Amino acid sequence: MRSGAYIFRKLVSAFALLIGVTFISFLLMVWFGPDLTYQSLGKNPTADQISEVRRQLGYDRPFMERYGAFLGQLATLDLGHSDSTGEPVSRLMARTLPVSLALVLPGFLIGNLLGILLGLWSAWQRGSMTDRFIMGASVAGMSLSFLVIIILLQVLLCTPWGLNLFPARGWSVDGLSAYLYYATVPTLSLVLITLGYNTRFYRSVMVEELNREHIRTALAYGKRTRAILFTHVLKNSLAPILTRLLFSIPIIVISGSLLLESYFGIPGIGKVTYDAITNGDQPVLKAVVSLTAVLFVLVQLAVDLAYRWVDPRVGPS
Amino acid sequence: MALGACGPADAPEQGERVIYRHSMDGVPGSLDPARASSVYNKFLAVNLFDTLYRYRYLARPYALAPNLALELPQVSEDGLVYTIRLKKGVRFVDDPAFPGGIGREVTAQDFIYSIQRHFDPGTLAEGAWLWQGRIVGLDDWKAAGSDYAQTVPGLRALDNHTVRVELTAPFPQFTHTLAQGYAAIVPREAVDHYGKGFSNQPVGSGPFTLASIDSARAVLLRNPNYHGDAFALDAEGFDPKRHDGLGLQQLSGRRPPFVDEVIIEFITEDASRWNALVSGDAHLIKVPAGQFDQVLEKRQPLTLKPEFTERFRYDASLESGFVYTNFNMADERIGYHPDPEQDVRNRALRCAMVKAFDWGRRNASFYSGIGRIFPGIITPGVPEFDAEANHEYVRHDLEGAKRLLARFGWNATNLPVLEYGFPASVTERQMFEQFRGFMVELGFPPERVQPLTFASFADYYRAYSNREVMLITSSWTMDYPDAENTMQLFFGLNQSPGSNSSNYSNPRFDELYRSSATLAPSEARTEMFREMNQQVIEDCASITGISRTLLFMWDRDLVMVPDRSFVGGFYLRFVDFDRAAEDQQ
Repeated sequence: MRSGAYIFRKLVSAFALLIGVTFISFLLMVWFGPDLTYQSLGKNPTADQISEVRRQLGYDRPFMERYGAFLGQLATLDLGHSDSTGEPVSRLMARTLPVSLALVLPGFLIGNLLGILLGLWSAWQRGSMTDRFIMGASVAGMSLSFLVIIILLQVLLCTPWGLNLFPARGWSVDGLSAYLYYATVPTLSLVLITLGYNTRFYRSVMVEELNREHIRTALAYGKRTRAILFTHVLKNSLAPILTRLLFSIPIIVISGSLLLESYFGIPGIGKVTYDAITNGDQPVLKAVVSLTAVLFVLVQLAVDLAYRWVDPRVGPS
Repeated sequence: MALGACGPADAPEQGERVIYRHSMDGVPGSLDPARASSVYNKFLAVNLFDTLYRYRYLARPYALAPNLALELPQVSEDGLVYTIRLKKGVRFVDDPAFPGGIGREVTAQDFIYSIQRHFDPGTLAEGAWLWQGRIVGLDDWKAAGSDYAQTVPGLRALDNHTVRVELTAPFPQFTHTLAQGYAAIVPREAVDHYGKGFSNQPVGSGPFTLASIDSARAVLLRNPNYHGDAFALDAEGFDPKRHDGLGLQQLSGRRPPFVDEVIIEFITEDASRWNALVSGDAHLIKVPAGQFDQVLEKRQPLTLKPEFTERFRYDASLESGFVYTNFNMADERIGYHPDPEQDVRNRALRCAMVKAFDWGRRNASFYSGIGRIFPGIITPGVPEFDAEANHEYVRHDLEGAKRLLARFGWNATNLPVLEYGFPASVTERQMFEQFRGFMVELGFPPERVQPLTFASFADYYRAYSNREVMLITSSWTMDYPDAENTMQLFFGLNQSPGSNSSNYSNPRFDELYRSSATLAPSEARTEMFREMNQQVIEDCASITGISRTLLFMWDRDLVMVPDRSFVGGFYLRFVDFDRAAEDQQ
């Protein structure tokens, strides 16, 4: 019952958060988003044509009325059609979201897994040459621009000037081999760019844990290294690890793949979001903003529950 | 390595299908011809739908050719009535929008409906300006509520395959308007069936059909029932001097389109576009300016480095428009002024700024030194262009500019604060900084040359349409190869929010514009245009201009002559692979 009440309370606060996020997002979209009036008009428009288009775009309606309509659309999951392409927004999301997930999920998982292992090893060996090498390589990786890594890997792996093993562009995935063919270089790019940040973050978490008394006690008992690292250090570091992992999910779903999608010609949601922002495509923006808000709220809920799972001391109070 | 090895071998088999991989440096929005305003939208519109006319593939200067029309229109002696016969037996592609899913014949009524749509507020169309006030009864039809049950007197179907268009006044460019993407013919059933979704579900009778489209690419398939006539070299304007060695002879007598599938990659990133060409993921690209040093042996004449000529062909062509910076003449700080004395001083200030603007440096910095600088608003791509025109207006004359300022009493303390508008981007900012440098050389204190930045082009467009920008840097892509299309940029009645963003108003210019508007191309009309050009120059209404040179590179195995100008998307149907080279292999 206490857990049920806890979840209910979290859900209520999540709903309030959702309303707040959508309101602020809508405010920003309306006040700072591009005004499409003149782009939607032909050349040499008359005053009548201008007001006609403003009416068509809904710009002439009061703000609260527009916000109310937006909430209505959210509630009914009917977000209309994209202003740019005319495609139903729900279809657009259903088409692009799985592509983005398939694109970034392997890189996300590999990048974090490797980061945790390297961070753990580096922390255990702290001060040694190994530690210095890993940290030096991490800083080097963090210093490189994502664009440089993408272009470098494209030249090395996708052109006759390099190994020419993979395509520079495309996403025609109909099976595992095609998936590996198209996803390998983007995944490598993502791993390379995130590994440095991940390793440094996880190392600092592990170092903090290694300095605790219970690790010293375990060492004094003569426990094996593997047991200390994986049973005591890793398990007790799970709270910050989970926080980082879970809060990364909305970002990688919505925006994390923008550069990969642009440079590798992959039709995911990152590029759609970017185009919607620059083109002022409000129906698409509304959908993306809402999806992001919902994801964050769900993630927050998941994080709260995960905290209770990894550390039962975390309670309703 | 292992992964890569499984890739190419396991990549989808192409079999006998002939696939051409095109690339674009932008992304099209709507596929509805009513919104074919960008070069990217238009490129797709004219391939998925049919227009009555198109431009001949190889002919330069550009010339019209019948497309869905049987021949060029019959025009009455007074230039008011156009009679156009359509080809018989042309069908829309099969689609669920039609009864039984079978595409029906394209008729004269479809053409009329497609033009009317631009005057229906529900369409949110962008092409009405082409015919606004031009066709008898069309504007009234709109004013009366755009009811398709009501007929438009100036748009009549004489029978299923003959259209009669009656104009309110002679409009010599009318046939050109029927070669625009806006004039592509759509079936009403499909528009009604798909509603807003029609933007994404094209149903036309063009050379290709749409298989798929997303933010990264479009896949087009050959329309097996396309009505295209057999290719004839002479009819398309083949010129042995320019076209020998390109393999175009192999197209003779064959019916386009020549490839089974076209994959159009939308690649906005320069580096990615170049990698796509090198890796074979695109057969053709518009070469990014940043790549010119890497690929060009020399610029005059433009020559590719030998290591690239083995694999690629190339072509450099001037864009069908120009880049310029307009003075907002409605702004009393720099434009017209109610006080005649100040008005004269403002003109002197503008002229000094024009003289201080160094087109040579602008060209070298931003257009790789291969743009074409010309004085005024008649671009090099149109027949009315005067190659012998005096270039004084675009000559960098800093001393002359300083003298002019001094003569009219301008000095560092009384010069106005210049506000140079642009949408936020690195290149635009660099252009502003260069402009500021020119003005500082002239004598402006740096703090008196201010950037006016906008988050997006839409915001910038709105601002200058509302006369809120003092210096408006912009570019114009011509709709048809006739200088009238740039003259209207300075016609008084087209002031903001119209295309006359400088808000230029000159009675003599307007009088000439009105008089020339109904004239067919002729020497007399060319003289009028040149006088209008001179008016703009003498009033120093704009810092203008330069036409950019576009460099295309494509795989040697392809037989094609790419064009981003008026032929635009119409050439896609004529792209083929070099059959002789294939046979040799």
